[in-house]
Amino acid sequence: MRALVGLLNNPVVPTIIRYAPGLVEYVDVIPDRLWYDFEDEAGHGERFHHVVGAIDELKQCGEGRVLGGHGIGLSLPSAMPIDMAMVDEVARLARELNFAWFSEHLSMFLVAHGSVPNSQAGLGLPVVYDDASFQIISAKLDVLKQVLGCSLLLENGAVFTPVPDTEMTEPEFLNRLYEQSGCATLLDLHNLYVGWRNGILSPTKYLEQLNPLCVHEIHVAGGDHLAGFYTDSHSGLTPSEVWSWASEFGPRFTNLKAIVFEFHESYFEKLGMHGIIGELERMHGLAESLAHGVKERIAS
Amino acid sequence: MLVEFQQALADLVSAPQLCREVRAEPSRLRGRYDLSDKEFERLIAMVNHPGMQCNCMLYRANRLAPLALNLPRSCRLLGSNLGALLSEYSTRYPNTNVHFYRECHRFCSFVEEKLEQGLELRPEVREALEQEFSAVKLALSATSVAL
Repeated sequence: MRALVGLLNNPVVPTIIRYAPGLVEYVDVIPDRLWYDFEDEAGHGERFHHVVGAIDELKQCGEGRVLGGHGIGLSLPSAMPIDMAMVDEVARLARELNFAWFSEHLSMFLVAHGSVPNSQAGLGLPVVYDDASFQIISAKLDVLKQVLGCSLLLENGAVFTPVPDTEMTEPEFLNRLYEQSGCATLLDLHNLYVGWRNGILSPTKYLEQLNPLCVHEIHVAGGDHLAGFYTDSHSGLTPSEVWSWASEFGPRFTNLKAIVFEFHESYFEKLGMHGIIGELERMHGLAESLAHGVKERIAS
Repeated sequence: MLVEFQQALADLVSAPQLCREVRAEPSRLRGRYDLSDKEFERLIAMVNHPGMQCNCMLYRANRLAPLALNLPRSCRLLGSNLGALLSEYSTRYPNTNVHFYRECHRFCSFVEEKLEQGLELRPEVREALEQEFSAVKLALSATSVAL
């Protein structure tokens, strides 16, 4: 099966879909961007207030396309109970928009006494890859699976300070999640690029360790430099190395369902419509060649 | 305890001063958090890792991003006052809000409170704040409860 090509939803995406409807087959929807959470304020009645028009616009965008959920609010690795009210809200949205699957991040955004500002992709804190974290995450995945009723994916994060001396590497941890919890991987190749550029990891070693069957979705993106570091700011076009890894390792990902380009709407002017169209066309080329490669692998 | 390890890591990322203190005197971590030996060693290695500087910068940048995007005139006109206000705001509200308009609403309310307490700002800065705060309130009011 050929992977779908798509975009991470933001307020500019409907315009891109209207401009080039045939190039966008899939949209990753961040539920947290469709509501305001008034959990911390009394007197607002209902906790979640939805942005007027946003869901209807997404329904229109979703006609003839596949939509998936891409959460940032549940912070599954945090050593604290899962937020059931938010899970229920995600489930309502999943039903409303008919999510084909739901992904979350393998990063920590919440701690007992506060939160870490993510700004969508900027900063999630690294996870301790040990049995304790595995038990916490897999228990929460069980709850999510039961409530959402669709397949689940976890995305590797951009890490600047890896946790040293862990029981498992990140790919080993993702492999175990796939084998024991049935949770697939959303492989963010640009986050591997961030780690590589900052001297944290070797993407080829990482990709060789990762069970290729667990990869159900790929994210590509571009970043920026900040005081000597390279960051996952979703501000640019995908670097050539990321395309190379996608071409080299992609044919092994026989369960791949979607390839998604991420950009933040504040960089739309910089990227330009033509820049984004170029990325979509390149992803279509990749999807075609991967589908062809998979057929060849199966035949041989 | 994992919960303490995670809290310590989040606190370090949000406070470069705490990072400096822990680098100089690692035992400070023991005083503040209930950590196993392994967790303590991991945190010391992480706080001394060059990437911790990037974590701290991203934390700060991500706290500024909602304000820069939605209160651009106010941020520009606040000029040199912005850094100090942002530091005080971040200390008072370490728990960030993922929703940009809600973060902006809280920041504008904070500046209003500071003005009531005697903070002096030029009339054009106050005017920009009032206008942009109104726009944020309007955006937040365009919501519905039920799906």
